[in-house]
Amino acid sequence: MRWITCNSLDGVWNSLEQVNTAPLEVRDLRVSYGPTRAVDGVSLEVRAGEIFGLLGPNGAGKTTTLSAIEGLLEPDSGSVTIGGIDRRASPRAAKARIGVQLQSTGFQSALTIAQITRLYAALYGVAMSRQGARDVLRSMGLEDEASKRYGQFSGGQQKRLSLLIATIHDPPLVLLDEPTAGLDPQARRQLWNRIEKMRESGRSVLLTTHSMEEAQAVCDRVAIIDHGKIVTVDTPAGLIEKHKDDPRVTSIAHGQVTLDDVFIGLTGEDVRD
Amino acid sequence: MTEASARAAGPRPAEARSSLPALGPTLAALLEVDFSVQLRNYRSLLLSLVLPVVVLVAFSANKRAAALADPRVRVSLVMILGMATIAIFGYALNTATDREAGVFQRLRVTPAPTWAIMMSRLVVQVAVILLMAIVVLVVARIFQNVTLDALAYGLTLAVVIAGAAVFLGVGQALVGLVGSVDTLNAVTRLVFIPLFGLGVLGRTDILGSTVQDVGRWSPGGIVVTLLMAAMEPATWGSDAWWSLLACVGYTAVFVFLGIRWFQWGAH
Repeated sequence: MRWITCNSLDGVWNSLEQVNTAPLEVRDLRVSYGPTRAVDGVSLEVRAGEIFGLLGPNGAGKTTTLSAIEGLLEPDSGSVTIGGIDRRASPRAAKARIGVQLQSTGFQSALTIAQITRLYAALYGVAMSRQGARDVLRSMGLEDEASKRYGQFSGGQQKRLSLLIATIHDPPLVLLDEPTAGLDPQARRQLWNRIEKMRESGRSVLLTTHSMEEAQAVCDRVAIIDHGKIVTVDTPAGLIEKHKDDPRVTSIAHGQVTLDDVFIGLTGEDVRD
Repeated sequence: MTEASARAAGPRPAEARSSLPALGPTLAALLEVDFSVQLRNYRSLLLSLVLPVVVLVAFSANKRAAALADPRVRVSLVMILGMATIAIFGYALNTATDREAGVFQRLRVTPAPTWAIMMSRLVVQVAVILLMAIVVLVVARIFQNVTLDALAYGLTLAVVIAGAAVFLGVGQALVGLVGSVDTLNAVTRLVFIPLFGLGVLGRTDILGSTVQDVGRWSPGGIVVTLLMAAMEPATWGSDAWWSLLACVGYTAVFVFLGIRWFQWGAH
């Protein structure tokens, strides 16, 4: 029989806590831009190994919600807990546990791809040699582009690099803001495969999208957000089942109810800017 | 999952990356890329060096200008011209352009402290200003026979760092308070003229003693006073000490304004 010391018990307790803690918990989040409330009481939970989609029309509050989780915006109230860490109390520790792909990629155009990779590895505390950077780039099919400047990259390559940077420190949680926007069907399909591989490797993913096809293809659960509030949450199939008899949905459905019908039925047919 | 797909997905997530990245490697990585970007923008770097040198050589070629001021004044004025150019047209506008491209937002979602992100950029600009000052001193020695002893060279370079802090503080305040690149572009042109011009007017009573006093205690004026005293350490007196105090004050105010209200995202 081995004696368990206090330190070991702490370790066991911490491990148990991590196992029981959701990678992301958002409670009653409120964010305003001046007098306009962009996010109004959003609560959601992303479970371990889950791909969670946040769907909503333009201006619904998707990116604002994500920005508050990432720490780019300070919420008026509410809490964001990342793997048990309160984001407001320990912002750097929380940031170290998430990988982020922003809507606009935002790397310096004068830097080479290898330099960007090594910079972000260092910022997340991952020691990476020049060869190491090349190896990592190979995993994304970018090994031949290592010495190319970021400004010379195509849109698809920029997205791939951005996804690579988001996962360079093996975070348990990855946040992707419209990851496939502006990509051609081949590149979009390739990116979906990579997102699914993240789930296979044990990560949790929260992504925002406009695309119902994307939500159905990769998301385990989706939440529809509108006017800063979560309207409904379920699996894609569960959402259709739940709302198939809703008059707002049936009135616009052409034949069998689709996720698109549910989305438009719940958020309205008006075009948003 | 096959081996290839496992590699494409990357390693399994870190169970608990409880420790934060160390500050040393973070700063080193930021400095490496910021210096690299500066060197790649070699045209802008060359222009930052060429402009003060051209003006200094023009001063020495112009006999009337030579009669107006002693060589230390000319060297000091040329140095503040270089500092203002680098801090206002270089640092402030480049920072605003990067902000518009989302570079800062991308950096802010990492665990790197925000002050480290900013500090790295400022250190690079201080290095560029030091390089400009060294080039100006070399050219001044060749064309204007301005020869300093070792103490004076050391003191002058120390004052250049203090002057760089003032001008970069102004640049930081501008980019912090003005959100869009277009507006900043216009504002920098407006600010540059008094910033440099008052430094010049602090050395002459051509527009009256009030304007001279204002110029003398303007950011440019105090740096000129300090540079002149540093180039001849025997003349360093209360005027220079008061200027140094003003230098610290200006830097503190401008840097506070520029960091406290810095807009990280583009408008």
